[in-house]
Amino acid sequence: MGLELLEGSTAIARSAIAAGCGFFAGYPMSPFTGLLESMSRELPAAGGVCLNAESEIEGVNMTLGAAAAGARAATGSCGQGIALMQEAIAEAALNETPFVVFNMARNQQDYFQATRGGGWGDYRTITLAPKDVPEAVEHTQLLFHLADKHRAPVMLYGDPLLAQTRVGVSIEPRDFGSLPPKDWVLDGTGGGTGHSRQVWTWAMGKATDPGPGPDRHWRSIAAKFDAIAAAEARHEQAYVEGAETVVVSFGSAAKFVEHVVDELRAEGHRIGWFRPVTLWPFPGAALTAATRGARQVLVFELNAGQMLDDVRIHAADRDAVRFIGGVSISESGLAYGELMDAPVIRTRILEGVA
Amino acid sequence: MEREVIVTGVGGQGIQLLAKTLALAATREGRHAMLSADYGGEMRGGPSKASVVIGDAPLRALPVLPSAWSAIVAHHRFSEGVLERVRPGGPVIANVPLVDPAALRADLVVHPVDAAALAKEAGAPQAVGFVLLGAYVAITGLVPQESLVAAMEELLPPYRRQHAPANARALAAGASLTTAVAHGS
Amino acid sequence: MTTIDTSRPPEGPAKLAADFKPNLLLGEHSLCPGCGEPVALRLLLEVLQELDIVQRTIGVVGHGCYGSFVRIMDVDVLQCLHGRAPSCATGIKRVRPDVAVFTMQGDGDMANEGLQEVLHAAARGEKITCVLLNNGVFGDTGGQLTATTVLGQRTKTSLSGRDADEHGYPIPVADLVAGLRGAAYVARGGVGTAGGVAQTKRILRRAFETQLSGAGFGLVEILTMCPTGWFVPAGEGPDYLGESMEKVYPLGELISP
Repeated sequence: MGLELLEGSTAIARSAIAAGCGFFAGYPMSPFTGLLESMSRELPAAGGVCLNAESEIEGVNMTLGAAAAGARAATGSCGQGIALMQEAIAEAALNETPFVVFNMARNQQDYFQATRGGGWGDYRTITLAPKDVPEAVEHTQLLFHLADKHRAPVMLYGDPLLAQTRVGVSIEPRDFGSLPPKDWVLDGTGGGTGHSRQVWTWAMGKATDPGPGPDRHWRSIAAKFDAIAAAEARHEQAYVEGAETVVVSFGSAAKFVEHVVDELRAEGHRIGWFRPVTLWPFPGAALTAATRGARQVLVFELNAGQMLDDVRIHAADRDAVRFIGGVSISESGLAYGELMDAPVIRTRILEGVA
Repeated sequence: MEREVIVTGVGGQGIQLLAKTLALAATREGRHAMLSADYGGEMRGGPSKASVVIGDAPLRALPVLPSAWSAIVAHHRFSEGVLERVRPGGPVIANVPLVDPAALRADLVVHPVDAAALAKEAGAPQAVGFVLLGAYVAITGLVPQESLVAAMEELLPPYRRQHAPANARALAAGASLTTAVAHGS
Repeated sequence: MTTIDTSRPPEGPAKLAADFKPNLLLGEHSLCPGCGEPVALRLLLEVLQELDIVQRTIGVVGHGCYGSFVRIMDVDVLQCLHGRAPSCATGIKRVRPDVAVFTMQGDGDMANEGLQEVLHAAARGEKITCVLLNNGVFGDTGGQLTATTVLGQRTKTSLSGRDADEHGYPIPVADLVAGLRGAAYVARGGVGTAGGVAQTKRILRRAFETQLSGAGFGLVEILTMCPTGWFVPAGEGPDYLGESMEKVYPLGELISP
């Protein structure tokens, strides 16, 4: 197994290609740009198509088209760009078109955007938040699998540290199991057969071959997302058994929290950590179990309190939940500020414990 | 065992290039490496910082290092935050005279290197970063010198290949100096 | 173009155009009497059959009254977001280059919501055929002003008639697209007259032939009647089209390979 020193954007691109991604379209926006450039360099050589779309809206709709035609397709952006893509993400959730959205966010302030949606209708978006580049490599391939498994758009929640840190990694194709056949794909061959295909959020079908219509279709979509919620939640945790304090965090921040918790445990603190790996479905039941008996449940995230809401909903004792995070942005506006730093996090945790 | 080095100076690209070279050299040796960068939006004149971590197993290090084993300080500007994170007894390559060794913490093991003079003497006046890198690797032994040269060549884009010999001379100049340097500030 | 030899009698009886219904039409449309859009749909389906490409065609349909055509066309079809059809079509064509890909969009869809989508796809020379059903009004939402509404036209949001000072000038989409080098075929037809219908069918065919030859992007703008949106009695739609939109948007081929 040879290691290659790759920046996260390139590692993610190569992992997507290893997963069979055949189409990528995006619009430059820091820190997503590195991923677009990596795909632009490497996807054509792998037999795929990479387009630098003229706008985010065009990019996501190109991806939707390619996916409807059967390709493993992806797009990405961050912040305001993801905001522009909301209509299309919802559209794909409701017309059941699978693709991956690489949300290389500038910070942790888009947790609500990722998990509550901002599109339209009753849908949810499976969102994975890796804590470092090696995990992002694994999540990338898993996301293509989940998109096809559930016929839905899915999201990777990244950040500047993931995009720009370089780590020695090895990218191998992973097999996550069997998938349902893609018999719904638009390939053009249905014309004139009386059974031509239709991809439509309203699912009315054709005059000679009616579909369920919006009411039944949207109920079935809602039921599908309920089933996904029950089956696809993922989390990691450590030292929560008998802990007085449990720190909850996601993404890159969680890696820093793990480091600080190790330090504090060596100093005798009874402290553990809990990390949602899927932001949606949020691993609520696991969080409840992990926080049972904890005197403090400290929520650390670099925003004004977003995952906090989900922690409050699920923590075993709501009154034990305390927010120790905050908005923290660099001078440039494009990256994290002082709060993404172990000594600062240590202070926050100790204040929270006191 | 993980070894960290924080490199700090003023941008241009030299700080980032030297850090990238070190990380790639370690990777090509089959070791685990991580490189994180921290710089602003300016093309020149702004803060430029990079961290490299090298180890023999998958790294646990954070992309923002709470503390580091060693440092390379190319310029005094923007360096305060970095120096306070170097652990006592850690080797620090200081680019004199831009950096004043006397102003550094007494518990650091400072190796002054007049990288600009050495680079000029080696006929590679712009390769100050590589002089510092050559010196750092000679003192710490983190990677073999030859792997630095190979990494440097690998990182050069086709339109910069003509600089390879000069860069190699700069690396060698930094490496040879350290045999004569005394420790301490 | 074949010239008919008028010195000889016809070889068979004339057929009523209305009797021939392409079997790609799966049912009746539910649009207003006098609407030009079903005429355009039928011409498109006839062309697909004549070119024998029906079993390798994918359509992308936008939002408007014609949106309901996704139920009655026996063609693989994606119903997409308002304005985005050229982008979706791009994605489809890039991953299935051997399939004929077309869009069907109204003026509200293409010239309002989706103007940049069609311009970018044309500039990129995407090998797709975009069909613009231009009736100069947002028919489906009750008849409001669009970017192609002609000066003087009454709509729900320009009740005294479109006025240049207040509402600006209409956009000639085919002319805009024709100015882009990636556009290989751009033409404008109209379905208000029998001759116009025949000509529109010819330009649709040439547009698809352009796509099949790989020459580049094709746009067919078809002027259609919307008597409901125009506040005009159904039977007067065709004459009204001739006197209003056809005077602003001349018919004919703007670019051909």
